[in-house]
Amino acid sequence: MPTSYSSYFYPLLKKHTTESEIKWLDSIPKDNPNALMTAFVKAPRFLSKTIIQEDVEDQNLIPNLPGFQVNHWNLVRLSRVWFLGFLVTLSKDELIEKIETLFDTAELNELVALFSSLPILPYPQVWLPRATDAVRSNMGFVFDAIALHNPFPYQEFPELAWNQLVLKTIFNEKPIQMIYGLSERKNQNLSISLISFVKERWSAGREVPANVWQLLVPYLSEGELYLVETLFKSRREEDVLAASLICSQSELNSYQLLGTKHPKFLEEIKNGKWDWSKLGNNH
Amino acid sequence: MCEKKSDLTTNPSHFENQNKTKDTPTHMDLQWNDYKDKIKGFKFFDPHIHMVSRTTDDYQNMAQAGIVAVIEPAFWVGQPRTGLSSFKDYYSSLVGWERFRSSQFGIKHYCTIGLNSREANNERLAEEVMEILPLYIYKEGVVGVGEIGFDDQTELEEKYYRLQLELAKEAKLPVQIHTPHRDKKRGTERSMSIAIEHGLDPSWVIVDHNNEETVKSVLDQGFYAAFTIYPFTKMGNKRMVSIVEQYGAERIMINSSADWGISDPLAIPKTAALMVNRGIPHDVIRKVTYENAIEAFAKSGQIQVSDFESSTPSDPNEKFHGNSVLRGGQLPKWNQNSLYID
Ligand SMILES: [Zn+2]
Repeated sequence: MPTSYSSYFYPLLKKHTTESEIKWLDSIPKDNPNALMTAFVKAPRFLSKTIIQEDVEDQNLIPNLPGFQVNHWNLVRLSRVWFLGFLVTLSKDELIEKIETLFDTAELNELVALFSSLPILPYPQVWLPRATDAVRSNMGFVFDAIALHNPFPYQEFPELAWNQLVLKTIFNEKPIQMIYGLSERKNQNLSISLISFVKERWSAGREVPANVWQLLVPYLSEGELYLVETLFKSRREEDVLAASLICSQSELNSYQLLGTKHPKFLEEIKNGKWDWSKLGNNH
Repeated sequence: MCEKKSDLTTNPSHFENQNKTKDTPTHMDLQWNDYKDKIKGFKFFDPHIHMVSRTTDDYQNMAQAGIVAVIEPAFWVGQPRTGLSSFKDYYSSLVGWERFRSSQFGIKHYCTIGLNSREANNERLAEEVMEILPLYIYKEGVVGVGEIGFDDQTELEEKYYRLQLELAKEAKLPVQIHTPHRDKKRGTERSMSIAIEHGLDPSWVIVDHNNEETVKSVLDQGFYAAFTIYPFTKMGNKRMVSIVEQYGAERIMINSSADWGISDPLAIPKTAALMVNRGIPHDVIRKVTYENAIEAFAKSGQIQVSDFESSTPSDPNEKFHGNSVLRGGQLPKWNQNSLYID
């Protein structure tokens, strides 16, 4: 039987609820799937939207689920995911039927909770089509729920879907540093798409977020050197910084040489003052 | 369900011009641009509009005219639905996509959920819809059961109207009643007496699409009387002003019911401008274009006035605040008055 992670949530719920709120949460029979589903829908009628703010930004809530974190969720979302956690004791068919029904009838915030819960549900392959579909969503909050601070795509997405997720995050001008496992899943195909994205943007007179370049570093060849030269000429300091980071990390001589021609940030990069994560915070 | 031939040719969804008279919209001779300034600083709440049929241009114009919140009642989208899935998708779009889309323009979107009277006549489908309604009416932002009531005043319409009144009672939600175009007076009376028979408190029931013939009885019995300003029909906004002059502001509210028919999503701000012009006090205007709708539908417990009262309209171009507050902005505003499209 799949494990329920719900016990990890309870101390947090207790901490962030009022007396009447926890009383309501306690009152839902956790072995009754229909009661859990109704509670999932009705939660906002009984709970506030208090934001869960913990100091443990990098700490995982569930030890063997790296990347799964509930920081900045509101209480309703946290409680909904908690409710869903109890459904895992159902048979596979029953569980799928219940979750699919919730998906089919969901409103915006329910969708957010459903996509947030995917990492704690068993049978990840069953939810994969829903998850890749969520990346196509035009509803920003739904997209965010799957793309940002969610380990499910990192764990389960095939390369094509993963690359779509990263590209769309950039396209939508959302912070890529919030994608869990971003660096680990860099790949050649992604870099090819990104290079054409950069060219397209530049020819339209638009900009590209500077931290996007971190995904390209291992895949840049001599042929793309001119792109980095262009980047050095940018009026935006973060672009120059990105170009400097590329050159300091590249294994190609031509890039290293280009870097020495623009020494402005080199020393500071060596001293560890700058890395890619510092470029993402301008958003 | 079979539509009459007249429906197929003219077919406005909320009003029908049975006599085929050439009504001129009463506000045609006044230039809206000249009147915009009259309502500067007003906030409007449109408690009845079908945004699923409207464009993003409408949202932009509505936001500019001061509309801060809307209610979208579930209704007939013109094309009859053939299966339960279409209903599910429609209801889901009301609580999902449409709500998101409006938020992009700084407009708070609520909805009422129900099986509409026209489609109550398809019994097989109606039965199926009734089964899934409970999954929707308890959702966040669902402020009532609606719009329900009569169209042709058939037995099936009455059956599902009654069932949905019971549902509303159980869920402690207000009811939004669509009154019929044909035989309106009798249909309105019948709707009200059935609601009372089911034990509903009239102050929880909003009777829609009223006119001079129905308003007195609706108000006298303690219901809310909503008025739809819809061009080329019997209720224009000049007459609306007279109704407010005669009956005051208590339990009266104005809406656009804008949909796929020839309708005007700015009906409320335009009517408000007309009222300002006619010297109606601002607090009266505020009641019939904003406060009464909130008062009536907030009984659902689903309206947070602070969501649209205090905040400045959201700017979709706004970026993330630090790294924590996620916004969904994907449809930036742009300057429609510019020749350049950038
Ligand atoms: Zn309507």
